[in-house]
Amino acid sequence: MASHRCLLLKGVKSMSGINPVVGAKDVKPKKPKKQKSSALYKQEHRVAFLFVLAPVIGFLLFSVYPFAYSIYASFTDWNGLNRMNFIGFDNFVKLFQDPYFYQTLYNTVFYMIGIPIGLGLALLLAIALNRGLRGTTFFRTVYYIPVISSLAAISIMWAWAYNGDFGLVNQVLEIFGVQGPNWLENTSTVKPAIILMAVWKGLGYSMLLYLAAIQSVSKSFYEAADLDGANSFQKFLNITWPMVKPVTFFLVITNIIGGFQIFTEINIMTPTGGPEYSAASIVWYVWQKAFKYYQMGYGSAMSLILFIFIFIVTVIQFYLNRKSDYSLD
Amino acid sequence: MKKQKRITDIIVYIILSLGSILMIGPLLWMISTSLKDKTGVFALPPQWIPDPIQFEAYTKLFQLDTLGYGIKNTIIVSLSVTIVGTITSSMAAFAFAKLRMPFKDWVFLILLASIMIPYPIIMIPQFVMFSKIGWVDTLLPLIVPGLFGNITMIFFLRQYLANVPYSLIEAAKVDGAGYLQIFFKLIFPVIRPAVAAQFILWFMGVWNDYLAPLIYLNSPEKQTLQVVIANLKATYAIQTDYPLIMAGSVVSLLPVLIVFLIFQKQIIESVALSGVKG
Amino acid sequence: MAVQKIIGGVLIMKKLNLLLAILLVSSMFLGACSSKSSGNSDEKEITFMFRGGEDEKTAYTAAIKKFEEQHEGVKVKIINTDADQYSTKLSAAVSGGNVPDVFYLDSGSIANYVDNGIIRDITEDVEKADFDLNSLWQFGVDIYRYDGETAGKGALYGLPKDVGPFALGYNKDMFEKAGIPAPDKDKAYTWDEFLKVSQELTQDTDGDGEVDQWASGFNATWSLQSFAYSNGASFLNEAGDKVTVDTPEFAKSLQFFSDLSNKYNTTPNSSQSETLDTYQRWMNGELAFFPVGPWDMSAYAKLDFEYDLMPWPSGDAGKSVAYVGSLGLVVSEMTQNPDLATELAIYLSADEEAQQTLLDAQVQIPNLVDMAEEWASDTESVPNNKQEFLDIVQDYGVPYPTFATYNSQWLDEFWTNITPVVQGKKTAEEYLKEIQPKMQKLLDEANEQAKMSK
Repeated sequence: MASHRCLLLKGVKSMSGINPVVGAKDVKPKKPKKQKSSALYKQEHRVAFLFVLAPVIGFLLFSVYPFAYSIYASFTDWNGLNRMNFIGFDNFVKLFQDPYFYQTLYNTVFYMIGIPIGLGLALLLAIALNRGLRGTTFFRTVYYIPVISSLAAISIMWAWAYNGDFGLVNQVLEIFGVQGPNWLENTSTVKPAIILMAVWKGLGYSMLLYLAAIQSVSKSFYEAADLDGANSFQKFLNITWPMVKPVTFFLVITNIIGGFQIFTEINIMTPTGGPEYSAASIVWYVWQKAFKYYQMGYGSAMSLILFIFIFIVTVIQFYLNRKSDYSLD
Repeated sequence: MKKQKRITDIIVYIILSLGSILMIGPLLWMISTSLKDKTGVFALPPQWIPDPIQFEAYTKLFQLDTLGYGIKNTIIVSLSVTIVGTITSSMAAFAFAKLRMPFKDWVFLILLASIMIPYPIIMIPQFVMFSKIGWVDTLLPLIVPGLFGNITMIFFLRQYLANVPYSLIEAAKVDGAGYLQIFFKLIFPVIRPAVAAQFILWFMGVWNDYLAPLIYLNSPEKQTLQVVIANLKATYAIQTDYPLIMAGSVVSLLPVLIVFLIFQKQIIESVALSGVKG
Repeated sequence: MAVQKIIGGVLIMKKLNLLLAILLVSSMFLGACSSKSSGNSDEKEITFMFRGGEDEKTAYTAAIKKFEEQHEGVKVKIINTDADQYSTKLSAAVSGGNVPDVFYLDSGSIANYVDNGIIRDITEDVEKADFDLNSLWQFGVDIYRYDGETAGKGALYGLPKDVGPFALGYNKDMFEKAGIPAPDKDKAYTWDEFLKVSQELTQDTDGDGEVDQWASGFNATWSLQSFAYSNGASFLNEAGDKVTVDTPEFAKSLQFFSDLSNKYNTTPNSSQSETLDTYQRWMNGELAFFPVGPWDMSAYAKLDFEYDLMPWPSGDAGKSVAYVGSLGLVVSEMTQNPDLATELAIYLSADEEAQQTLLDAQVQIPNLVDMAEEWASDTESVPNNKQEFLDIVQDYGVPYPTFATYNSQWLDEFWTNITPVVQGKKTAEEYLKEIQPKMQKLLDEANEQAKMSK
């Protein structure tokens, strides 16, 4: 195996004349002698700063200010209407004693089981669609359809599909002699049911991004591997997987961030949060508290905790990724 | 070898086809419902082929005076946000991925934090802010924030640019190219597939956005398409004209589909790294 | 050379940023302009926000046109919103200080909005407009009264957009086929009688060994109240500060409700049926009894069988109880034109033509008592017993339990955890004992928040 890899790299290097990214540390240009560097570097810093100026301004205006407002609100008894009195840490004390907070947090984390499943399927899909089969465009479009279909249509369709008596899912199961449960009304099946729908819906999205990434993998790598006698699995493991790792990282992070905030699917499939709140996600609970029960201050407090959670998890992931990075910035 | 590939191809083909039946389900359901009459919607067992088939929903849809506004406004919002936003995002991604800047990674992480804030909670403060400057009932709150860039797109492009070696840029600098030139002539073409993929997704996101237009827009002339469709729901769910809503949804997904078809070609055109000369 | 080029790049960059800035500023001006160009200064404009489908929109547009004709120089701007997110939009509007002049508000939120100073006391305005409140349902008017402490009495803060009595319907054809006399339209079934009829009607009609016809399939959230209250139980005490679900009367009613499914098997499935499921069965003629609201009439008109209305079965208290919902029209406290706004509300609530249009579209029963009584006197068209709707509004209807409380969280708690009971896995008594303290805690919280608002 190792010898094959070396051969592969060598072969690639000689073919394309550029530094392959896989398995080699991308050589950062050494900092030149101090005198020349300052001016040049300052220049680059300035340009970089200007390039990122727009998003930074947007962030300050449209994210920081409203967020600061809501952080303040989390220390008040704001009811979403006109009343907003400072109450200190009361909301936070209450929320750490709220069983539904923990229940919905558990639900939310549970839902993330769908992420590895979805990404795995999407990657396989992208590879399959990259083979250059006939009708690839057709398949690509079809697999993308759930992503662009209206959420209303999807939810109605899935709510019906999960119907205990007439639903499509149970009808299919009946063919195999299995008596399906009433998916959305059963505390143990409602979450898997929603995961299935979420995976199905997000497949096209991830597939598209993986496709873009796979396209960037030069065919010459694969040809070199073929010359070395590598089989499909080896090609996948040593070329495809590492080359799309940046995309995988992106998808994992954005899916986790998004997963923590799952809301609309819950709201439409189980408008009451499911039997005994077994389907409710944390943002759904925040929504209930804020808009239905006039406890926006409390909702803001929960969101703040959630945000801190997500931030920490993301930073950890970045740190871990750093350690196993193939290419340095 | 070739035979093996063919067999794999066939197997893959079969699996893909089965899967696509699953995928196309909702679209077929949407179309089917849009051709039913109001009560046929709730029939059990559900009918796939409406009986009778009727286009009443579509005629009603096109007679809606708000439909024209909806389409026009949604196009304005979607295009302006995605086109300008793509440029600002790509440039920022380039900077994050390839340029040197102090605290670069921390700035990036903080920008990323903006999508970690649950939307329901900044929705109202944002609204208050826009309300104070008189932007309620205009399309501006929907357009302006997007012009500044989309962190998801920036993130993805940054990751994508990880596969582009420094040597390329260094070589260009040695040749005397300015950063802007490097960006437009060198980087942008290389990241085209990634930009195309993100463009599709962003366009679709803005096109289908429903919550923000809902709270900001009042006048019928300002409404976007999704809101026009959502407003067709009656006070009592039972009275809602679902065929009409589905007809609207079908019509509304056509432009997104078209954008997809146009841009997915961009993704596919293989940009072999080896083809890029220093 | 290289240095010059790089500087050039930065300069271009700066130009781009400048361009962006100019774009931003000019669009701001455009935006500001468009929001101010709402007509000349002579014209008065009132905004009306509501949610509804095409039928409602048609009816109200006509009424509004008439209103505009009668008031020269007044324009009404109509804001139509999606029904599901109405409260979100309203909440945003209130926070942003953009409250519409006239808008929909559900009866349960009146107290809250009054305490927060958002809606206006229109008692005097209504008197000034020379409008006879007695032409409307008393129930519909009183539900919008509030004296600062108790909802239901005091100053008037809104007018009914509609009253929605939740009646019980039955499949007439099914009764005939089974040879059972139709339910009496004046005398309610006792629970024993109801059970007996239910069991008789639950049968296998086509002889294939499987039951395909059931008596009922009620959704607890909407129907339990009728069973409980007609048995002398209630969710709250009179003062509204104690949750009273742990009484034997309540336990009996909940147990009976659950037994209909689990012990007597008179409903399609023992797991809690989603409303849409039993609704469709009713539409297919598989259920004997099903709730009917005025909004259902247009859909039910197309049924294959004839249906009619009847009083809900009554428990030990001997009299039926049914729930009546209501959506109201309120006026903003901050309106610049209180007289006009109130008059618009009156139009929308009581204009004869508008009410007739809504009635014809079968969206709701009329708010005007006379019109409703005339409509009910027609016992030929289906449903024959339209009078039942009127009886509920005038006689045995009660508002939903959360009507007088600050928020509905305490009651939602009850429904969230009721699944095991409805599935027969837990007895009513057990459940009620467990849930009462939790509900009480939430109710206390709500009451405290209500107090703080004042």
